[in-house]
Amino acid sequence: MNIRHSNWWRAVQLLLRFFIVTFISAVMFVPFLWMLCSAFKGPGEIEGMSFWPEVFHPKNLLIVLRLCQDPFSEQYLQVQLLRYILNSIFVASWVTVLQVTTSSMAAYAFSRIVWPGRNQVFLLYLATMMIPGLVLTIPVFQIMVSLNLVNSFTGLILPGACSAFGTFMLRQFMLGIPLSYDEAARIDGAGHFQIFTEIILPQAKPGIITLAIFTFLSSYRNLMWPLIMVKSDCLRTVPIGLLSFMGDKGGRVELLLAATVICIIPLILIFVICQKKLISGINLGGGVKG
Amino acid sequence: MTKWFRRHRELATAGVFLLPNFAGFLLLTAFPVGLSLYMSFTNWSLKKTVPLEFVGFDNYLSLLADGKFWFYFYNTAYFMLGIPFAVFGSLVAANLLVHDLLIKKVSRRLQTAFVLALTGVITCGWLFLAGSPDWALLLALLYLAAFFGVLFGSNTYRTMMYIPNFASGVATIILWVQVFNPHYGLANGILDALFGFFGLHPELPTWLTSTRNLLGFLPLPNLFSNGGFGLGAREAIMIMTFWMAIGGNNMILYIASIANIPQSLYEAAEIDGAGAVAKFIHITVPSVAATTFFISVMAVIGGIQGGFDTARIMTLGGPAGTTTTLSYYIFTAGFEELRLGYASAVSWIMFVIIFILTLLNWKYGNRQNEYQ
Repeated sequence: MNIRHSNWWRAVQLLLRFFIVTFISAVMFVPFLWMLCSAFKGPGEIEGMSFWPEVFHPKNLLIVLRLCQDPFSEQYLQVQLLRYILNSIFVASWVTVLQVTTSSMAAYAFSRIVWPGRNQVFLLYLATMMIPGLVLTIPVFQIMVSLNLVNSFTGLILPGACSAFGTFMLRQFMLGIPLSYDEAARIDGAGHFQIFTEIILPQAKPGIITLAIFTFLSSYRNLMWPLIMVKSDCLRTVPIGLLSFMGDKGGRVELLLAATVICIIPLILIFVICQKKLISGINLGGGVKG
Repeated sequence: MTKWFRRHRELATAGVFLLPNFAGFLLLTAFPVGLSLYMSFTNWSLKKTVPLEFVGFDNYLSLLADGKFWFYFYNTAYFMLGIPFAVFGSLVAANLLVHDLLIKKVSRRLQTAFVLALTGVITCGWLFLAGSPDWALLLALLYLAAFFGVLFGSNTYRTMMYIPNFASGVATIILWVQVFNPHYGLANGILDALFGFFGLHPELPTWLTSTRNLLGFLPLPNLFSNGGFGLGAREAIMIMTFWMAIGGNNMILYIASIANIPQSLYEAAEIDGAGAVAKFIHITVPSVAATTFFISVMAVIGGIQGGFDTARIMTLGGPAGTTTTLSYYIFTAGFEELRLGYASAVSWIMFVIIFILTLLNWKYGNRQNEYQ
């Protein structure tokens, strides 16, 4: 009797848990739902405080992408969203490739090669990790001014090209790869370069993917650095492009929300498709950090 | 030369591997740190007309005497009051989602999902045709979450809760600016509907343009320009941050941490008659203490440096400076008032705060490891 009672109670608890999480995650999605509905509304209709648009205006999305004219002002919008998205992807990809390359090479030197002064240099790296990025923003901007890189893609990419954190993370990861692999390869006559490309890099793949994801996302999201560096419209990345659109939307909230839909929905789809890999990456990143 | 090379071969190889990173490190980290520290003792300005002068501790002294600095420091600390709630929220969410929540038999799972889908389509369709499409839409969202939940278990909910964090960025913050719009925003729409249900029509908060705050009842000095008790710009930003943070990386870390707790502990507690809440308080919370500690330290360090994006996008630091954090202050002092020396000094004060907290972390964190 007691066992049956506890089984029944357990089922109720499970059901309750199920209802609670369903409710919470649905509520967390309501802002996205509101965004999606409002993006299809006609001009001024957003004041009506309803979700469902009276008439769907799928053209809003085309207007924001500059694929057709705004029927009310009979002009193309100033904002070049597609260009900003491509710029962002371009910058973030370069930052990711450069940072992963330099970090993994340095991590190899810190974890696999014995050389005098190794620990001291590594300690120097660790020490700078504590310094907030804001301390660096101002002098790095000054360096970019003197290198004449303000308002250029190079100036956007270069500061992200190497990071102490990436080196630290990959070094911790490489330390976990058994040394016997290297020794076996060395007996077979492999040099450091071959060991690096054929043994360590494939073994360190999960760590590298994690670093790549974090680097790409943080570069894609970065607002402050492009805000300081970029002056001309053709270099704008998504964050500052959207910000300037918010400034001169001229009361067309539905167009602004259509722009956010275009920026957010692909991210949601990407996450849903690769969530397994991403979530294991987050655990890895957290574990290494801890 | 060849002899030397052979002897120092390892060093040379290490040099080749290290060079790209180390060059960047020197140019973009080590040198700027030194430059910034030196410049914080000068009157460095972006204006060409001001000659560079060494001013000693003037920047530091004037900023410590500056009421604005302390006000922005207070703002930063105010925003950090949200951290415990967000961390606890993540823990609760992780605790709800740690099991897979799946029905064991696959056929039964498909049946339940089918029934859910059918009832969902019928009720939402009926509501839609009956003239309340908004309710139909909200209910459809609920049914959809339940439908995928039955099919894929807690993975569905982990994904849904993580998405606000993953999609966070300027686009999401702009979305929330619209949500908090007092005239057409979703926030006041919901409040209006809620109060309207009870036949009330109170004055609704104006959110991002309001200086009211939840600590407004405290007798604070005039400097901190309290707008009285209520919901204001700071609360709006905190609500958004909570929404972004609760299902984010912290929840994922907590799920991994809770999954590692030995099941025998829970079974032993059950024999002693512990309920769900007791098990959560007496087993789960102490068992994940190390994770909580790690998350809190990272959140505090992030919190001190935080608030730039939200301030720049949502409020431009206003109203009356109530949402200007230290990081936004560094930006405005440096790149709008062009006082780079002063801004550098502020950033070094921020470093000192973080440094002290990290030292405390080391001391306290090591002690925690001894217990394990």
